[in-house]
Amino acid sequence: MRSESSERIKLGEFEARIARGEKIEPGDWMPEAYRSQLIRMISQHAHSEVVGMLPEGAWITRAPNLRRKMILMAKVQDEAGHGQYLYHAAETLGISREEMLEALLSGRAKYASVFNYPTLTWPDIGVIGWLVDGAAIKNQTMLARCSYGPYSRAMVRISAEESFHMKQGKEMCIRYAQGTPKQREMLQDAINRWWWPTLMMFGLPDDVSKHSELLTRWGIKTRSNDTLRQEFVNELVPELHTLGLAVPDPELKYDETNRNWIYGPINWDEFWQVVKGNGPCNEERIAARRKAHDDGLWVRQALHAYANRNQVNKTS
Amino acid sequence: MELPNLKEIQRNALSQRLLALADDELILAHRDSEWTGHAPILEEDIAFANIAQDELGHAMIWYGILQELSGKDPDRLVYFRGPEDYRNCQMVELPNGDWAHSMLRQYLFDAAESIHLDQLQNSQYRPLTEAAAKIRLEEVYHLRHTSSWIRRLGLGTGESNQRMQKALDQLWPYVGQLFILSEEESILVDGGLVPEPDDLWQAWQALVLPFLEQAGLRIPNDNSTIRPDRSVHSEHLAPLLAELQEVARMDAEALW
Amino acid sequence: MSDTQWPRYEVFQQDRAGRPHRNTGSVHAPDSEMALLNARDVFVRRPNCVSLWVVPAEAVLAITLEELEDNPDLLSISDEAETERETYLVFRKQSQRNSMTYVSHVGEVLAKSPMEAMRQAIKTTNDQQTYVWWVVPEKFIVKSNEEDISSHYDPAGDKKYRMPQDYRVLKQMLDYRSAREGE
Repeated sequence: MRSESSERIKLGEFEARIARGEKIEPGDWMPEAYRSQLIRMISQHAHSEVVGMLPEGAWITRAPNLRRKMILMAKVQDEAGHGQYLYHAAETLGISREEMLEALLSGRAKYASVFNYPTLTWPDIGVIGWLVDGAAIKNQTMLARCSYGPYSRAMVRISAEESFHMKQGKEMCIRYAQGTPKQREMLQDAINRWWWPTLMMFGLPDDVSKHSELLTRWGIKTRSNDTLRQEFVNELVPELHTLGLAVPDPELKYDETNRNWIYGPINWDEFWQVVKGNGPCNEERIAARRKAHDDGLWVRQALHAYANRNQVNKTS
Repeated sequence: MELPNLKEIQRNALSQRLLALADDELILAHRDSEWTGHAPILEEDIAFANIAQDELGHAMIWYGILQELSGKDPDRLVYFRGPEDYRNCQMVELPNGDWAHSMLRQYLFDAAESIHLDQLQNSQYRPLTEAAAKIRLEEVYHLRHTSSWIRRLGLGTGESNQRMQKALDQLWPYVGQLFILSEEESILVDGGLVPEPDDLWQAWQALVLPFLEQAGLRIPNDNSTIRPDRSVHSEHLAPLLAELQEVARMDAEALW
Repeated sequence: MSDTQWPRYEVFQQDRAGRPHRNTGSVHAPDSEMALLNARDVFVRRPNCVSLWVVPAEAVLAITLEELEDNPDLLSISDEAETERETYLVFRKQSQRNSMTYVSHVGEVLAKSPMEAMRQAIKTTNDQQTYVWWVVPEKFIVKSNEEDISSHYDPAGDKKYRMPQDYRVLKQMLDYRSAREGE
């Protein structure tokens, strides 16, 4: 049983390790808050990938040429894989996949609210790749350097794969921008609907964001929400303009001094509604996952029974 | 044998056969992809999506050879033909049903495809032997995967066995069609371009029947089979194609 | 009957012949045969791979340097009744660099228990900086077959559309811009 002062010493050593750039690995001492914050973050991230398969997966059957069909299948498969790597990282912290699934399916667990918006047209798929995955890449690049070994490793692997996701989406947008009038119209409409949810992916403004200070000191979040969001906006706006596309922000203007594209106010009320479960697709998404899980019960049990009877696992 | 050496009648027959092979893979890939995000466990979302991708890749290979032979563009074939012009077997157009049904259909098809590809390597037509060599490798993996599943579901629990038996009873009448060539296509056998279907049928039974029995399943007594004619389809193909072609048909000139 | 996500298996991947197997993550599977298949789908969507190993997660004994420094008596804990000497594979993490993989296979020891294997592993790797050690009884490791390389692992190399290099978005953007400027 540790005394309070020895806890403080351990915490000091822990923070010194992080400051030195060392990775914290499963089994190392860590403050309880580090463990619980990471479990929260990583499992949310995992759920996001898995739920995110649904809005895009639904369009595989309607992909308008063979190459696009193939690419979308590969992309959605990757997303399942990303969920898998992240659940693994969370498991190293002592939570089981059963617990995490239970939290998701019961509606308790959160996941990125961007996936609670519907994909209404085929060009939405291009916009999701370019904007949503583009935004995710910014976050992932930062997390690839994070202090917790399994999370950073999952992020390195995910980042390597995500680049293709963004590029295939961008390729689609570049094509549709120079396509038929109907294609251009659908593309602009998709941008109008996905722009703000994408900006919200970077999280609350720095002055409001709750966990930030601790996450920064512990090497988990090393760049602020607003910094990443601004970088993203600065990259996307000129490219959207090059393609003749409008950004759905009447207050958007360029600041010469700081060389930033200043964006208008984000509707955080909408954000909170969606986070709380009142977004356009929240119920539908969780219902789909719950159905897959329930329908699959007999399958999981059957394979379990077979394995037990054949004793192919025993380690004792 | 190369393209210039084919007689006209062989060319037409080969085009027919390639269309059938390609359509089979396309429709099966499409059905498999419907499971994405809905599989019993995350690892299987990944695995089955992988199989779907492989099958779609195979379809593209067959459509590609067909294009060399006939000049027809694969995307135009896939997205702008009606159900009456599709030449897939009926088994692949059936709705997915439950996991047992989908897994068993995949297994029965994979077994047929593996045997077919093995023998197709002896074809006198080089593009076919090359395609067969390549696709065969991926089918080894599919067959390993699906047979592992069939065994476990067949022997797992009372419920899984019942579901598997029901799936087998439902799919059985559709199997024969996989091993029948049309009259025009039959000349390809004489020329040594494609394997003798009866050889494939025998080899398939030798592989599949004992395997299914060892997996705790009863081979159906039912001798009924559907009509072998590939221009005849179930009521499921039209809605499948309506969805598949929905976006592409919005504008035939648009590039996606 | 209860519902589970199936047991967890740690996965080790070998990129090329002659290189050590490295832990790349884990998969859930009902048994080791399915674990090998699942591992291939989860970890070998892109090149390279010539071999996969899987082992039930509970068969792994892991210790970190930090744990040892914090708790020097850890190694003198004796574990259960000793059995015959058997082979344990030793893996270790030797770098703090960002990476996709964790511990690498470095060798084998013979021991009568996991803890004894760990003691030996730590002693024999004294020469180099190590951050994490794993010891795993060889009998629990299930290995992929060499004859499966061409069918299971090589096909990943053909799927170029999964690689970012296949997309020339920079050029496409520039082409678009110059086409517009030409108008």
